[in-house]
Amino acid sequence: MVKGLAKERLIKGLPYKEYFVSGHRACAGCGEALMIRHVVKAAGPNTIAVMATGCMEVISTPYPETSWAIPWIHGAFENNSAIASGIDVALKKQGKRDKTNLLVFGGDGASFDIGFGALSGALERGDKFTYVCTDNEAYMNCLAFDSLIMTKDGLKKITDIEVGDLVYALSQKSHKLVLKKCTGVFDNGKKRVFEINTYSQTIKATGNHPFLVLKRNGRGKQSELVWKKVDELRPGDKVVALKQGLDGKPYTFPKIQLSKKGDYKVNKIRAVKIPKKSSVNLMKLLGLYVGDGWTRVVKAELGFAVPLGNKARKPAKQLIKSVFGVGSIRETKNEVFLDSINAVKFIDSLGFGKGAKNKLIPAWVFSLPFNEKKAFVEGLLLSDGYKTGNSFRYVSASKELLRTLRLLLQTMNIRAGKIHQQSKSKGTMVVYRNLKKTSTYGYVCFSLKKGASQKYKSQNKYRDFLYGNKNFEMKVIKSIKRKQVEPTLDLRVEGEHNFIANGIVVHNTGIQRSGGTPLYASTTTSPAGSKVCGKQEPKKPLPFIVASHGIKYVATATPVNIFDLHKKVKKALATPHTSYIHAFSVCPVGWYTKPEATIEIAKLAVNTRVFPLYEIEDGVLTFTQRIEKEKATPVLDYLKVQGRFKHLKPEQVKKIQEYVDTRYDFLLGIEGKKAFDCLF
Amino acid sequence: MTKKVEEASLAIATAVKLSRVQVCPMYPITPSTHVPEKIAEYIANGEFDATLIDVESEHSAASAFLGSVATGCRTFTATASQGLALMYEILPIISGMRFPGVMAVANRALSAPISIWNDHSDAVSTRDQGWIQLWVESSQEALDTIIQGFLISEDSKVQLPLMVNFDGFTLSHVFEPVDIPSQAEVDKFLPKFKPVFKLDVKKPMTFGPIGFPDSFMHFKKQQQNAMINALEVVKKANSSFKKSFGRSYGDGLLDLYKMTGAEYAVIGMGTLCGTAKVAIDKLRKEGKKVGLIRIRCLRPFPEKELQNAIKNLKAVAVLDRHISLGQEGPLFTDIRSAIYCNDITINSYIAGLGGMDITVSHFEKVFKDLAQGKQKGEWLF
Repeated sequence: MVKGLAKERLIKGLPYKEYFVSGHRACAGCGEALMIRHVVKAAGPNTIAVMATGCMEVISTPYPETSWAIPWIHGAFENNSAIASGIDVALKKQGKRDKTNLLVFGGDGASFDIGFGALSGALERGDKFTYVCTDNEAYMNCLAFDSLIMTKDGLKKITDIEVGDLVYALSQKSHKLVLKKCTGVFDNGKKRVFEINTYSQTIKATGNHPFLVLKRNGRGKQSELVWKKVDELRPGDKVVALKQGLDGKPYTFPKIQLSKKGDYKVNKIRAVKIPKKSSVNLMKLLGLYVGDGWTRVVKAELGFAVPLGNKARKPAKQLIKSVFGVGSIRETKNEVFLDSINAVKFIDSLGFGKGAKNKLIPAWVFSLPFNEKKAFVEGLLLSDGYKTGNSFRYVSASKELLRTLRLLLQTMNIRAGKIHQQSKSKGTMVVYRNLKKTSTYGYVCFSLKKGASQKYKSQNKYRDFLYGNKNFEMKVIKSIKRKQVEPTLDLRVEGEHNFIANGIVVHNTGIQRSGGTPLYASTTTSPAGSKVCGKQEPKKPLPFIVASHGIKYVATATPVNIFDLHKKVKKALATPHTSYIHAFSVCPVGWYTKPEATIEIAKLAVNTRVFPLYEIEDGVLTFTQRIEKEKATPVLDYLKVQGRFKHLKPEQVKKIQEYVDTRYDFLLGIEGKKAFDCLF
Repeated sequence: MTKKVEEASLAIATAVKLSRVQVCPMYPITPSTHVPEKIAEYIANGEFDATLIDVESEHSAASAFLGSVATGCRTFTATASQGLALMYEILPIISGMRFPGVMAVANRALSAPISIWNDHSDAVSTRDQGWIQLWVESSQEALDTIIQGFLISEDSKVQLPLMVNFDGFTLSHVFEPVDIPSQAEVDKFLPKFKPVFKLDVKKPMTFGPIGFPDSFMHFKKQQQNAMINALEVVKKANSSFKKSFGRSYGDGLLDLYKMTGAEYAVIGMGTLCGTAKVAIDKLRKEGKKVGLIRIRCLRPFPEKELQNAIKNLKAVAVLDRHISLGQEGPLFTDIRSAIYCNDITINSYIAGLGGMDITVSHFEKVFKDLAQGKQKGEWLF
């Protein structure tokens, strides 16, 4: 410990000044960041910190920013202890060792597993530093297969996303729409999925998938956006959803093989102009085509069912003429035709699907400029659309068409409602024909948004946290339904770690088993399945292993009792050789716990005796907070608040309870005795 | 100055002492072991005021090297073969953080099959990791290059770590007469280490932050610029060393032997050049116009100097003591790329892997091939 420091300003006996300063990018409720903050605070300004690779290095030092007000160095994942050995010796060489504290931080992965050799080597040499293992018990979530992801090149099925694709994401700093590279696609296997519905969106996701949700902090306080897992979402919660995409560019169509006179079975050809790029007129015609059009290759006809007197007949004729550059077209009482094999081939190449039930909106439409999208919707409305009051209704027999239309409308700042189902029984007149069998169809209603009044800005802001944002808005969750087990996938997105699936902002993935992962806990590499229930092995007893190296001071600490933590850090730093602090670090994202529950969970860990608080000084173990068996909270209370243990059956909970009790009894047995040989 | 008959390993340990190194994190590995042993002996006898950290692995040796130099101490380590391979992860971290320091590598083949004998596969395969690589031919050069190494590495225009490569056994364990300069002479040549940046509680800095895609490439460009600067600095160190001690090695980058009027030349690194010189002397007596180009500085690569050196030649042969499996000798690749625009025959010979002897007759054969106008090299067994 540093002697002769100038008097510091204190709050309740703790230093006021921060050396791990705010503004870093840790998740809400991060127990590890909290532990580090207090350890550094207790150590004071004359401290050098060494850190292993991990979350903490990523969140605190994104070049050129840093959260460290003390000198800090990071080398690799497994060498923090060895770097510290080099610093320790160099400080001694420079005669500065007594004036400087040396703290080494490593997660459980760096300390229990990959970096254990270097830690053990430094312990054997007794190099003077305090090793703080921030143990979050793992190397620190998925969408259903049919999810549609917003990308630069339009809408893609999650199964078609490839690494390197540019996907739309929300910048969590500016709340703006940004394009980010997808850096990984993962198969998450078959899992139970939940269907989340807002007024305009529907998405299926697994129970642990995070969504960006509004958190109200009460009157007079700023609300904020937090990540919540599906399990914690409730109807009434507001999620961030896409309101309007970025303005696109006209789409250039890929070249297609056109028929020429003299080709097989072609002896005359009607020359038409084949559009090279999308345009307002073409999109309007395609809108009409999706509703009322068809192509027949055999007859070389592109037809539209627009009877005489229908509002669409005149525009249909004009559009065909202007788009394909023809002077006249064939007309009957109920239809208009363009007889050209190349026009048919062109329309078929666009990917709108064939047959009334299989129509859909292809991905490229999503990348168009607003005016072309608008023309497309106008074309749709010309055919099967109805206007009632201020809203529009579009009817189709194709579910996929309605689903893609709803997503398209979301990129255009249009309010789209849910997809309604209806059926018409056999014999009903539809388009001048009697239905031969009962058929089901659906419709979706949508309306243009009215601009909110500028007069009551704070009220608007209350109603929509993202009020004034061009691209995103808050949407209220209407319902969450438990659905079947189905295959799931997840994406990893660089930088922003989120993407837009079915119009809702979702988080990407991480959390793998380490030697510090407790018995039965589920991680992405030790998942809980139907046969294996999470990790099968208990936690490596690292504090004991460290103590067995014969060092003078080993302690465990949690963020609950800050005073206890500060005391322990000071004791550790005053030790002439290596000292070790095992810091309990709740990870809300990895443990599937609520961000606001971090302290509560740490308290439960102590009170259930899962994480015993003790010191080993000169080989003698003493409890700093002893929990008697009669007063201990059942382990179940600790387990049930964490998603990583939600798969446990009563017999497994019993096993964990026995395991915890046995270990605690062992500690009680060696309490006050010289249990470890002290070599220094 | 005293004259002594020394092994290269011991000469290196002496050079480390003379360079007033403060911290030596060491992990022993054959054939570099004599270096830490001698350093430990110097320290134990009170002749050398440094601290040796007996780390538990080469990975930790490189990591403690990083910690020490980051704190502002002149630092040295030595290793070989598998040890260098274990250090591999830390090599680009040290160079990426722009910390100077010197490592001696007693070049030895990489396993399998396990071999303790000399070839260049260990160091050559780390050539892209941002370390300056100097290759020496004699014990005297090993001693001199360690001292020059600190001067080059700590130069404000360079600020990069430096690797001194000396052949395992064929040099590390061979006794040769070595001129050992006095401490006063070395002190005059090599000033005290003044780190540009260091871990300092009075001026807190963050080292080793995460570089997002918008900044990462800028770091690498700066490293590349520093490497290119090093070419001049290596030359300058060589010439100022000559002024102080009367010895020099070519221009510092390339060491030419009997190249005046030469028509054919061999190019190589390390001790095989000693054998080449014997062969060349013999052939010159027979009236053959042959010479040797020894690459002393592999990284940064002296492209212009090489183009100059070969411009009057008819053909050259490159002897690689390493093979990039599935391609060719890496030195050959570098040289062919450097002299791409020169109209000259260049043949690749792979020789001396895993300690296989390279003899005078091998060189006679190579020169015969060149004189006969052969367009292809081969493996010399």
